[in-house]
Amino acid sequence: MFLEIFLQQVANGLVNGMGYVLVAVGLTLVFGVLRIVNFAHGEFYMLGAYVLFFVITLAGIPYVPAVLLTTAIVAGVGVAASELLFKPLRREHEFTILMVSLGLSLMLANGGELLFGADPKSIPSPYADMTVELGPVFLTWQRIIVIVAAGALIGLVYLFIRFTRMGKMMQATAQNREGAALTGINIDWVHTYTFALACGLAAVSGALLGPTATILPTVGEWAVLKAFIVVVMGGLGSMGGAVVGGLLLGVAEALGANYISIAFKDAIGYAIIVAVLLWRPAGLFAGKR
Amino acid sequence: MLATRRHIALAAAALGLAVAAGAGSDAAAQSKPPVRIGAILPLSGAGTFEGQLGLEGMQASAAIINAKGGILGGRKIEIVAYDDKSSPEEGVSAARRAIEQDKVDVIAANMFSPIALAMKEVTRDKIIHMVLAPQHPKVTEEGHKWLFRINETTIMRGTNFSKFICSKMNLKSVAILAINDDYGRADSGNFEKWFKECGMNFKATEFFQKTDTDFNVQLTKLRGMQPDGIYVAASATSQGATIYKQLRQLGYKGTIIASGGNMNPKLVELSGNAIEGVFSVSPYVEDVANPVAEAWRAEYKKMFKNETSFVASLGAAGIEILAAAMDKAGTSNGYDKIADTIRSGKWATTLGEIGFDKIGQGFIASYIVQVKNGKIVTHAKAN
Repeated sequence: MFLEIFLQQVANGLVNGMGYVLVAVGLTLVFGVLRIVNFAHGEFYMLGAYVLFFVITLAGIPYVPAVLLTTAIVAGVGVAASELLFKPLRREHEFTILMVSLGLSLMLANGGELLFGADPKSIPSPYADMTVELGPVFLTWQRIIVIVAAGALIGLVYLFIRFTRMGKMMQATAQNREGAALTGINIDWVHTYTFALACGLAAVSGALLGPTATILPTVGEWAVLKAFIVVVMGGLGSMGGAVVGGLLLGVAEALGANYISIAFKDAIGYAIIVAVLLWRPAGLFAGKR
Repeated sequence: MLATRRHIALAAAALGLAVAAGAGSDAAAQSKPPVRIGAILPLSGAGTFEGQLGLEGMQASAAIINAKGGILGGRKIEIVAYDDKSSPEEGVSAARRAIEQDKVDVIAANMFSPIALAMKEVTRDKIIHMVLAPQHPKVTEEGHKWLFRINETTIMRGTNFSKFICSKMNLKSVAILAINDDYGRADSGNFEKWFKECGMNFKATEFFQKTDTDFNVQLTKLRGMQPDGIYVAASATSQGATIYKQLRQLGYKGTIIASGGNMNPKLVELSGNAIEGVFSVSPYVEDVANPVAEAWRAEYKKMFKNETSFVASLGAAGIEILAAAMDKAGTSNGYDKIADTIRSGKWATTLGEIGFDKIGQGFIASYIVQVKNGKIVTHAKAN
């Protein structure tokens, strides 16, 4: 029984961790490339879940294509936020931009409550209730999809940044914005692409994890908090750090809750942050930038 | 991180102020001034849905009373809504605004115990405070002369329910999963005691936070203890639904019991097959004849798209009792007179006949219910 519970908790942690990773990678990209601390990032997770709900229930589109459509729609919202708010404010003080992102977050969360209704919703996914027994571990197909799809996506994003032209332009912008602009890189385009990518990833996370629980317009708050923990843990701007940090947080929460105390489940993340900041103030994977 | 959360709270508080100011200023210039009832409920945060249902219940009930010409010789009932944001601090400040700035006549409020416990100190000896849903015993035990509570306490409800569980459900071992707040801690503490007293093998109590959206970690731990039954004390519908679903997804095959008052059609809809067979105890059932409830249900269905629920019926009963008592006492702010009237009467409400004791605790009928084929079915009378 001990091993069974241990394995089940590790599996639980990995699923949650993968969700954290998808949100955190977007957050860290926006920070790394554009130097924007985006508090509204969690709301794109929320939008991912809600847009998916309406795409499935109103348009009757099956789950998988619905996820793709949702991602495109929310990425579009992200681009709109970038064009209307963040791009015009690019030269303002960092704090101004931070406050704007906070405002956007409140607007989206409260707007979501108005638009989508305050009642909890359950996203109909055919995979949400299909349980699979992998030895002693119980997982639903939905949770397996979370792990596989998130893993694949992270891989793709890595390849995109590493090898494509736009990815290299993003890297250059992250290193030195003025320098990148001098070599002829169109910073406007980098801005747009980064936001589309980051918000798209948050939306996928919401669309994948949404059906594993019920959704509320306030889920974004939770998502952005966890993502910040992950990003601080892994090192601001580091994608590898976000991946390791997210999985580590998920598994640490699950095991800590099981073997120490469930009451401390949320405190574990903060405890890790304190430890990391004391030991390696720039994060576990700092210095790669 | 902390600084940011404070920013959010500040901005939210400012927003709430603006909303309340807006709500307060539309006291229409009518021939007779309306009787204003301050409805302080969670309209944002974790309890949004419950707050919305309670408010809808009140509004439907007020509409019925107003259509009949109002009370006190033609005064209409006006529901002034405030958002407690599912937090005690916000609830307290909303109550202050209602009493001091907006000068409402009476207050009907609360979905959750922590907020009622804090708010009663603001309403103490200032205004009639009708508590709707909270179940913590101390709300009335340490209440005040103008405070009343409609819902049963965890102890009143639990005594009867635990007897049913012990004698009729044939469980040898049991574990508890409860929300980590005043209500969940009180309820789980009582049931732990009762389960042990009736000779069950008590495994453990585990808690979850009001902000949790995923429960696999807690549920894995509980499943590992292999109890015959799991008693779930979840007061928010969104959390309850996820718990029942994830419990079944994790392969748990035992009996699931939902804590009293937390069974509603939305929960059944959201939980799907996972909630089939789950037992609970509820004062609001639709298959017991009650003309007040039938009129209210018809009005509610006309006004709102949600299904009627226990939480909404609590809101309705609050308005029905307050309106009838103010009408009978002949005043909307002679609080001693209204309070005496409420205590001395029996009130016909959507929840059946309700009477109150000396400390303002209400007595309502309640029923053992079970989910069968996706419907909440009355099993037996519980008290």
